[in-house]
Amino acid sequence: MKTLVLVWVALLALLAATAASSFVPLGGWNSAINLAISCAKALLVAIFFMHLRHAGALLRLVAVAALLWLGILFGLSSADFGARTISPAPWSLRY
Amino acid sequence: MATIPLASAEAGAERARLGMWLFLATEAMFFGPLFFGYVHSRLADSAAFASGSHHMHFWLGTINTAVLLTSSFTMAISVHGKERIRGTLGLTFVLGAAFLLIKGYEYGSEIPEVLAAKGAEQVFYLLYFAMTGLHAIHLLIGLGLVAWLFLSAHGRRAGTPVEIVGLYWHFVDAVWLFLYPMFYLLERYSA
Repeated sequence: MKTLVLVWVALLALLAATAASSFVPLGGWNSAINLAISCAKALLVAIFFMHLRHAGALLRLVAVAALLWLGILFGLSSADFGARTISPAPWSLRY
Repeated sequence: MATIPLASAEAGAERARLGMWLFLATEAMFFGPLFFGYVHSRLADSAAFASGSHHMHFWLGTINTAVLLTSSFTMAISVHGKERIRGTLGLTFVLGAAFLLIKGYEYGSEIPEVLAAKGAEQVFYLLYFAMTGLHAIHLLIGLGLVAWLFLSAHGRRAGTPVEIVGLYWHFVDAVWLFLYPMFYLLERYSA
């Protein structure tokens, strides 16, 4: 119970930090900070509220597999969009 | 896990947990493409996204994030509580409903700005409504599940159904934690 209260306070503190940081002009770092804080909050929720801390190997594997596949989807899609002008698909070439 | 007899209550609970985590993994795939669409569109025209973000209600979004985080906290207490969890379950429902009411007010007040939007700003609004709308539908389903727990015998004692609904509730909360900075916090300093 004490842990849950601490996690809740930490989540609200992180929310205040992310909201406050958006008023400071830091260029690309604003987005990086926001993303890092969102990941930290989601991790706190997953580890403590969703009990991953005490979960067995199987549950942890499922949780990590979801992130891994999201990473693969993002990675391959980015590679596609990034390389489209360098190496267009044969059917999209204009002669 | 091998030491748990297959027919035991704990084995049943573990199967239920695994089922919900697998479902949540498919949910991550469901939301994933929208997140990628956001990254792609924002990199294509970040100025339009910043100006779209300036139309968002900063304080309502921030308060709503706090409301949702608190609802996850009360849900976690319900899962941990052994008996008399109706109070925290009821509070979870009220906070979840409050989130949707605030969101609904925001949607209503944004209509004139959406109609006036041009170019890539329209893409910003499209993603905003698609992603927060999909999130709101998930929250609505969560509200139904919490109401069912509250009204049924499951509300009397914390058990597997409360824990499983809790997993779903926390996942929906976690999705919002990413949506909030993506739509509300772009270049706030220049707003």
